[in-house]
Amino acid sequence: MSLVTSLIMRQMRVPIIILIMGYAIAMLGMVITPGIDDQGNPWHMSFFDAFYFVSYTATTIGFGEIPYSLSNAQRTWALITIYLTVIAWFYSLGKIISLVQDPMFREALKENQFSQQLSRIPDTFILICGFGETGHELAKALTERNIHTVIIEENDRIIQTLPLEDFPLVIPGFKGDACDPEKLIQAGLQNKKCAAVIAVTASDETNLKIAVISKLLHPDICVVCRSELEEYESNMFSFGTDFVVNPFETFANIFAMAMHSPALHLLYDWLTGVPDADLLTSPIYVQEGHWVICGFGRFGRGLYKQLLKSNVQVTIIDPSEEKREAFLSRPENKSNDFIIGTGFDAHTLTVAGITEAVGLISGTDNDTNNLSIIMTARELNPELFIIARHNKKSNEKLFEATKANIIMQPSEIIARKIRTLLVSPLMIAFLNKARNQDPTWANITISRIIGALGESVPSIWTLQINEKEARALCQVLRLGRVIRVGNLLQNPRQREKQLAAVPLMLKRNQKLLLMPTNDIAIKSGDQILFCGTPSALRSMQWSQNDLHSLNYIMTYEDTPDSYIWRKAHLFLKRNERRNRPRQKRHLMK
Amino acid sequence: MNREKVVFSFFMIMALTLNFGFFTGEVDNPNHHNVYELFAVIIVNLIATVLKFGDRSQMGAMLLATSLVALVQLISASIVWAYVVNIQGSVMTADTMSTIISLSGGAMIANFISVILLIIETSMMRH
Repeated sequence: MSLVTSLIMRQMRVPIIILIMGYAIAMLGMVITPGIDDQGNPWHMSFFDAFYFVSYTATTIGFGEIPYSLSNAQRTWALITIYLTVIAWFYSLGKIISLVQDPMFREALKENQFSQQLSRIPDTFILICGFGETGHELAKALTERNIHTVIIEENDRIIQTLPLEDFPLVIPGFKGDACDPEKLIQAGLQNKKCAAVIAVTASDETNLKIAVISKLLHPDICVVCRSELEEYESNMFSFGTDFVVNPFETFANIFAMAMHSPALHLLYDWLTGVPDADLLTSPIYVQEGHWVICGFGRFGRGLYKQLLKSNVQVTIIDPSEEKREAFLSRPENKSNDFIIGTGFDAHTLTVAGITEAVGLISGTDNDTNNLSIIMTARELNPELFIIARHNKKSNEKLFEATKANIIMQPSEIIARKIRTLLVSPLMIAFLNKARNQDPTWANITISRIIGALGESVPSIWTLQINEKEARALCQVLRLGRVIRVGNLLQNPRQREKQLAAVPLMLKRNQKLLLMPTNDIAIKSGDQILFCGTPSALRSMQWSQNDLHSLNYIMTYEDTPDSYIWRKAHLFLKRNERRNRPRQKRHLMK
Repeated sequence: MNREKVVFSFFMIMALTLNFGFFTGEVDNPNHHNVYELFAVIIVNLIATVLKFGDRSQMGAMLLATSLVALVQLISASIVWAYVVNIQGSVMTADTMSTIISLSGGAMIANFISVILLIIETSMMRH
């Protein structure tokens, strides 16, 4: 029993005792007072009659004088009964109702409900601190992949509207300050089922605190942090935060990818996107020439560093004098210009050479300014390639209307990165390795994926060859059979057909192999990263875990008369008979 | 002096004494057992139970449990009484009376345990 509940119970003592006393006095009086029955004989109410009479009188129902009409003495007592018990009832009822409506009590009830929801989560969950735009996108993406999430958020209204939103899984929401260790523990930080903590509140300092608390109280947990400032980032890494995601750095890297290899950028876009969305994006070609950067904050600087690596001329527009001096004092910036100004007036833009420029980066931290810069620049030079920084989600429609070539939205970028980190950790390794390949490699990979899957964003999954996730595969591998990557891609319903999936990478003992070919034999302990359609995933799970389907896939290629396979065959048959007697006939074919 | 404990002890001991008064006499003789006494036992027991609501200590929870047991026994006794006399409409017989008395005897043991617990609690107090 919680403290609040017992406090409420304690406060209910007085009203209940008043009620009991009222009833007791009224009943006793009714029993003692003499009455007359219908034949004129003296008569006393029994306790049963008295309880009945007092019950309907006290609750103001008033059935009348039952069983016989009352004597005057009884009526006198009935008067006392009415005033005594009705008042006692109203007092007690009012008191009890007000106690139940007590905000403290309701909060206790809510916490109780939260811990019940938490205990109902079957496997592991991810604790998201802060339910802003990033938290929202993450919760959506994770629950869509059947990963349970729990939210801790300070804003009461957000927690209250949580059940109204349409998530595929129930998301328990806890109201509280995530900086408070007590609240974090209540939200499930020390719960055995808690697999990861994601700190995506708006403030870097809060995120830092959450990371410290999580690492101290639950050291083996995976902690992912959002950070926009470098000093916080290094601080977070210093005590073992697993991943720190900086939206500006991430975007700058994506931008660099787009600049150097458009095909790789496209591949990245697909593989980290939300499954089942249409593949509308065509490759982005960043041109070389003159670029104008408006706003030289974290965003502008990150992109400038990437632009420096290519052969481009850059002009920067920023209102800060200090930044200009710092910029001009560096030797590597010699060939580039820095103009003091805001950039949303045509004059500054013209001075910066917007009419001859090929690209514009509108990177201030104010959405209205960014929109204004884009519109002015478009008027001066309709051919511009525009990169827009989009700060607030509510302005999404406006930014779409500007038709900027790349729109950078911090919360979306962070959500995408964290989602990839948590859902398919191998994907990060894959993308890092892919970055070192030559551009034609990306083109070939893209055409292979399109050939196998068609044009929709693929699902990504990792096949772990172990007892838990691929029971049948392991069983057969232990018997010494050879299973190749190509076998996994066969359809367990019709083995001549291929599943709509492409193996992207094979991981074996820390060694990574990009795009494994179909003839590679798999071993127990391997991890294979696949992309494909959701139905291909389901079929593949079937052949991994069901000996029957695996048997069906494997038999046409190899002769079943070798010694080991004969034994395996017998073994499988025995197993089948034990497990699925109904499908025995099907097995024989 | 803890007033809460004194008030509770009053009701608890009162419940035991009243119960004893109702219980004594020949077990099957209705003349030896007064209905008013049963009523008083039930009321006093009810109050004693309610007085232990929301007590988070181990002893408090034990006392709540014992007085709830007594209450269940006594209310069953009164239901037996009301059933036989008011619903069946028959006269109180020796059979029924002995049932009621044995139920109240059970309640008395529960009350007795409560009082023992009370004594233990009091003697454990340091001052």
